[in-house]
Amino acid sequence: MNAIANLADERLLIEAAQHDPSRFAELYESNFHRVYAFVVRRVHDRTEAEDLTAEVFHQALSNIGRFEWRGVPFAAWLLRIAANTLADRWQRVSRNQELQADVLEDTEAETEEDVERRVILFQLVERLPADQRLVIVRRFIDQRSVREIAHELGRTEGAVKQLQFRGLQGLRDKARSQS
Amino acid sequence: MNNISTFDQLDQAIEAMIASPEAPLVKHDPQLAELLRVASDLLQLPRPDFKMHLKTELEWVASARPLSTAPQPKPVVDPDILPSLFRNAYGTYPVRRIHFAASLAVHAAAAVLVLALGVMAVKETAVKQATKPVSGGVVSLAEYIPPVGTVRPHGGGGGGGADMLDPSKGSLPRPANAQITPPIVVIRNLDPKLKIEPTIVAPNLHLPQTSQLGDPLSGLMTPSDGRGVGGGIGSNAGGGVGAGTGPGFGPGNGGNFGDGVFTVGNGVSAPRVIYDPEPEYSQEARAAKHQGTVTLWAIIAPDGRPRELRVERSLGMGLDEKAIEAVRTWRFEPAKKDGRPVPVMIEVEVSFHLY
Repeated sequence: MNAIANLADERLLIEAAQHDPSRFAELYESNFHRVYAFVVRRVHDRTEAEDLTAEVFHQALSNIGRFEWRGVPFAAWLLRIAANTLADRWQRVSRNQELQADVLEDTEAETEEDVERRVILFQLVERLPADQRLVIVRRFIDQRSVREIAHELGRTEGAVKQLQFRGLQGLRDKARSQS
Repeated sequence: MNNISTFDQLDQAIEAMIASPEAPLVKHDPQLAELLRVASDLLQLPRPDFKMHLKTELEWVASARPLSTAPQPKPVVDPDILPSLFRNAYGTYPVRRIHFAASLAVHAAAAVLVLALGVMAVKETAVKQATKPVSGGVVSLAEYIPPVGTVRPHGGGGGGGADMLDPSKGSLPRPANAQITPPIVVIRNLDPKLKIEPTIVAPNLHLPQTSQLGDPLSGLMTPSDGRGVGGGIGSNAGGGVGAGTGPGFGPGNGGNFGDGVFTVGNGVSAPRVIYDPEPEYSQEARAAKHQGTVTLWAIIAPDGRPRELRVERSLGMGLDEKAIEAVRTWRFEPAKKDGRPVPVMIEVEVSFHLY
C-alpha cells in the first residue's frame, strides 16, 4: 500500500515537472544517489561517475516531457538513460565492443542489491554527526592521511582513527537496519 | 586497549585500500571485514558539493525552459475515496435532472431580475433627462436655422484669438449685413478710439442675446476667443463665430449660418461606411517603409459624403494627403436623428501598412 502511495506521489511529481520544469528538483533529490550509485558501480571513478550522472539528469530534464507513466518507478527510466549514456561514453572512448556487451549484460543481470546498498550508504553519510562526516569525507573522498586530518582538525591521530571507526560502525549498523 | 588496536588495524587496511583500490581485501576478523566493505563503498562516495552544484545547474536550466502548455492530466483518485463522487472516473459524476432544472430556474430568475432592474434604472434616467434643460453635450443648430424658404443656410464663420483654449460659451453678437468689428470674448483693448458694435454676417433672426459674447455651441465657461486666428470667436479663421471660416456663424465659410453639425450619441446614430476603397501609398512613404494610421476629422453630410476633411493626427510623407484623397471617395449611410439624416462630425482612421 505504501509502495502504491509512493508511486502515486511520484507520478504527481513527474506530472508537475512535465508542466513546470522547475519542479524537476524534487525528482532529482529523490533519485540522485541511485543514479550515481548505478554509474559509479560501473565506471569505478568518481570524477567520471559525476560527469555521467550530470549527463543523465540533464538528459532526463530535457526529455521529461516525453516520459509516459506506465506504473514503473521513475528511477527505472533514469537508469535506462544511465545505461545508454554509459554505452555511448564507452563507445566514444573507443573501448572494444566486447566490453560494451559486458556492461549491458551486467546492467541487466546484476541485482539491484549492490546499487541499493550504496544508495543507502551514501544517503546515510549525509546524516552522520558532523565530526564523523568530516573525517569520512577527508579520508575517503579527499584521501588524506589520518595525520593530515588530525593536523587540520587540531586533534590527535588516535582521536581521528576513533572517529573514523565510529563513523564506519554507525554506517554499517544503520545500513543493516534499513536493508 | 583492544579498541585502539582495532582502530589501528582498520586504518592500516583503509590505507592499503586507498593505495590500491583494485586489490582484493585481506582477510580480517568478521567485524573488521564488514567495516572494510563499508569503507570500500565509501571510496566511491560522491563529493558533497557535487550533488548541490548539479542541482543548482539543473534548476538554472529548468528556469530557462518555458512552462508546458499541454493540459494537466487529471489527478489519480483513489476509487475507495468518495465512491459516489468518483464512481466511474473523475469528472463523470452523474447529474440529476431535477437538480439541473432547479439550477436553470434559479439562474433564469436571477437574469430576469437583473434585466428588470436595468430597464427600470434606464427609464428613470430618461424621465429625469427629459425634464432637465439641456445645457451641454451636443447642441443642434436647428433651433437657430430659419424656416425653409426664407434663408437657406450655406455658409458659416469662425476665427479666434489664437488662445490655448477652445472658445467659451456665450451668445452670438447681433447679425448684420456687414462686419466692421469681429466679436471677441477677451477684451484686449480697453479704450478703443472708435467703438463699433461687434457683429457677424448673417440674417437678423432676433436671437436671444446676453452681455457675454461667445460660441453658443461651446460648453466652456473660461473666457477664451478660441484657437482660431483672424479675430472673432472660434477654432478656424475669419471674424465670425464657430468652426467655419469667415464672418458668419458655424461650420462652412463665407458668412451666414452654417449647417448644424451633430456628434454621435444622444439620439444621433453613427454613420456607417458602405464604400471604403483602400488608400494608395505615397512613393516616399513606401521607400521609407513608413507605416501607421492617419486620423481625420470629417463631417458626414446627410447625403453620405464626407465633407470638410481635416487632419487630426498626421503621419507625414504624403500619407495625410493620400488619406484625405481616399476618404473623399468613401460613402456612408448617414447618421440619423429622429429618423432623418443629419450631418455629423466623426473621426476617421486610415491605416497604412506595407505587409
